[in-house]
Amino acid sequence: MDSIQIQQDNQFITGLESAFRDENNLTNWELFRMAYQAANLTKRPSFNGLQALEYLPHLDILDHQLQAAEQVIETMHGRAILADEVGLGKTIEAGLVLKEYMVRGLVKKALILVPASLVNQWEKELNEKFLIPAIAYRKNYSWDDNPIIISSIDSAKRSPHREAILDIDYDFILVDEAHKLKNEQTKNYQFVQELKKKYCLLLTATPVQNKLLELFNLVSLLKPGHLGNYKSFTEKYGKDRKKMEQDPYLKKLVQQVMVRNTRKDTSLNNSKRKIQTIWTSLPESYHKVYHQLMELSFGMASFAKITYLREFCSSREACFTSLLKLDQDGNHEAIQEVIGNIEQLEQHPKAEELTNLIKSLNGEKVIVFTEYRATQYYLQWYLQQHGISSVPFRGGFKRGKKDWMKQLFRDHAQVLIATEAGGEGINLQFCHHLINYDLPWNPMRLEQRIGRIHRFGQESDVHIYNIVTKQTIEEHILSMLYEKINLFENVIGNLDAILAELKVDSMEKEIESIYQESTSAGEVRIKLDNLKYVMEQANQEIQNEEQYRDGTAN
Amino acid sequence: MEQQIDLSDFLTSYFETKHCTILSKDEGQIHIQLTEEMDKELMNRPFYWHYIKKIGREGEPQALRLITDKEKASEPGEWIHFGSPRLHQIINKLTEKERYTRLFEEVRTSENTPLYPWLVVNIKISYRGVQHRDEIFSVGLQLLHGHMALNMMDYLERIPLDRAISDYCYTLTPMINPKSGFLRIQNVLLQHVQNQDNAWAAASIKQLESEKATLKHFYADELDHPRHVEELEALEKRFKPMITFQVINGGIFYLTASTMNEK
Repeated sequence: MDSIQIQQDNQFITGLESAFRDENNLTNWELFRMAYQAANLTKRPSFNGLQALEYLPHLDILDHQLQAAEQVIETMHGRAILADEVGLGKTIEAGLVLKEYMVRGLVKKALILVPASLVNQWEKELNEKFLIPAIAYRKNYSWDDNPIIISSIDSAKRSPHREAILDIDYDFILVDEAHKLKNEQTKNYQFVQELKKKYCLLLTATPVQNKLLELFNLVSLLKPGHLGNYKSFTEKYGKDRKKMEQDPYLKKLVQQVMVRNTRKDTSLNNSKRKIQTIWTSLPESYHKVYHQLMELSFGMASFAKITYLREFCSSREACFTSLLKLDQDGNHEAIQEVIGNIEQLEQHPKAEELTNLIKSLNGEKVIVFTEYRATQYYLQWYLQQHGISSVPFRGGFKRGKKDWMKQLFRDHAQVLIATEAGGEGINLQFCHHLINYDLPWNPMRLEQRIGRIHRFGQESDVHIYNIVTKQTIEEHILSMLYEKINLFENVIGNLDAILAELKVDSMEKEIESIYQESTSAGEVRIKLDNLKYVMEQANQEIQNEEQYRDGTAN
Repeated sequence: MEQQIDLSDFLTSYFETKHCTILSKDEGQIHIQLTEEMDKELMNRPFYWHYIKKIGREGEPQALRLITDKEKASEPGEWIHFGSPRLHQIINKLTEKERYTRLFEEVRTSENTPLYPWLVVNIKISYRGVQHRDEIFSVGLQLLHGHMALNMMDYLERIPLDRAISDYCYTLTPMINPKSGFLRIQNVLLQHVQNQDNAWAAASIKQLESEKATLKHFYADELDHPRHVEELEALEKRFKPMITFQVINGGIFYLTASTMNEK
């Protein structure tokens, strides 16, 4: 075929001739044949299938992740939106795609743009899971010399980086949290648009398909013209957000560039989650200290009041230790007074509740999660006082220690007390009960907790208990994050959508500022109720749309 | 021509050829004492060697413990497998450095024996379009009469080879110079490529055209927009069918007539 460009290797023979002039340039038979073997090892024998898998023997890849990566490479030809729900492993899919292109020698130069807070995590995952030598951008690194760089979009788009980056021909660009690129007027959008790129992945958990114009903008980054141009698109579809679902043709077009797995279609679980909340209340002595904490303000803008309140609801010890740290010199009277009062307190009401609950399980295995190390120590001691054996577990444990603790838990102890989800790979499916001794802000963390026992292959239903104290910040967290938007029921992906809808970056910061800026407990309550209400509304709206989609689409 | 390689044998013979001492080798692990040269090559510690040299001391090359059995990956040492950076480092060193050779068939004889010159070229052909595939050929061309043979490496595996010529042997002078020999080999491979089923290329071109049309639609009013031009280039890079020839390594081999006749 004449249209195929053929590139010959003409350098070799001149190289050979000049090598003959110096014996040192020539190799022996052993090494010569090994170089030939090595070339055979790295040969890509077929057009189809992912070769990268052979290179990642240590990685557990789930079916839907593999399919997503194959689809991106084979039918989308390396330009796609990965829009799986949170927790289904978009990073794994993206890593697989990048690895495959690298293994095939099609990608040498790549730029990974992620939120600043995730740069290190991406670096770790790409290196450890995918053995991709990616480095996080640091001051004075050269954009040109390092083949695979991870950076936040905010530093990348600033001068002089911007100019350096726009000068480079990238083989591969990845943008995480790409829903932030929905507006074509922003600097971020224009920056990504101007990048010279061959392959491109946009990752987002937010169902962007709800807003047509934003969707149009995202797709136009990947594949300009796929949805027409701005004029023809708006003329045809307007800006009405429900139109995509009403238009099967548009839907089909979008599916050509977007992979979206949901928990429902990955049949993640057949077993159910049974959720139960156990209420306790603070006795008078505790209540007094809680209010003292509420009143503290120190005139410091950075005083994270809610942190201490949450710690106090968890254990005396957790709050005590961080207050000590806060006022190391002991010269802040109000703090010292609270510290003194905490010292006087009797055992924590939740610890008693926990003990009763564990006893009621008739010896069945249970995991207790807490956010705080001090609480973990306290609970271990407290349970031991009541004749219950437990083992501790922390994310920071070395691999060997983790395995050892897991084994102790399986064979000997009834209770595992963990502070973090404990990293991945730790699989505790033999356990069917989980107690949230306190609740994390970040629903992803909760999902990771539950994921330790509720995962592929779990046959039994799992029981989840939340111990919550009434009339405290805990009650607010529970109702706002977890009840109003049903986070326990597998719809964690919606939270992103809700937050995006409300233009709120982080739940934690939002609530922090409510506490900060309010002058009374009553004001806090009213503001939180308002927030709850709008979240509920947003959730309702998103749910309706999903139902609508499930009902009519396909 | 798919070959399965035993990783632990491969590594052992690599390090042995590089004059390293194998301290121990048992199931699933190899313990190697590196030479100074190999330490510099593989261990990436230029400051150490720089410093040692400066104070005029002998450096101490490191020992390397490689684990080849996945089951033992958690034991002390470095797990090495087909995706690990260490193996890639070694493979890259091999393909970068062991590129040219000149070797003689070893002959035990007391008679004058002529050796025939062969140009041997190992070459990788990559087909790139919507998808990607490689082929590897090992081709030999006898530079006296122009015989050509495929799978040359397989033949060479069976005979003893040395960098020095054996006693009583002498080499015959090529009639064909290596440059035109290489051209002949290239032409034969070109023929092969042209006889291939080109459906992949047709699919690539079709895809390219349709992507171009889509892009054009987007930039309808401003076709000479610089981004349009850039995007077009990116499309060509992704979809334009292309075949590349890349020589892995090659050299001149002097072989006896009998070896040649067996082909």
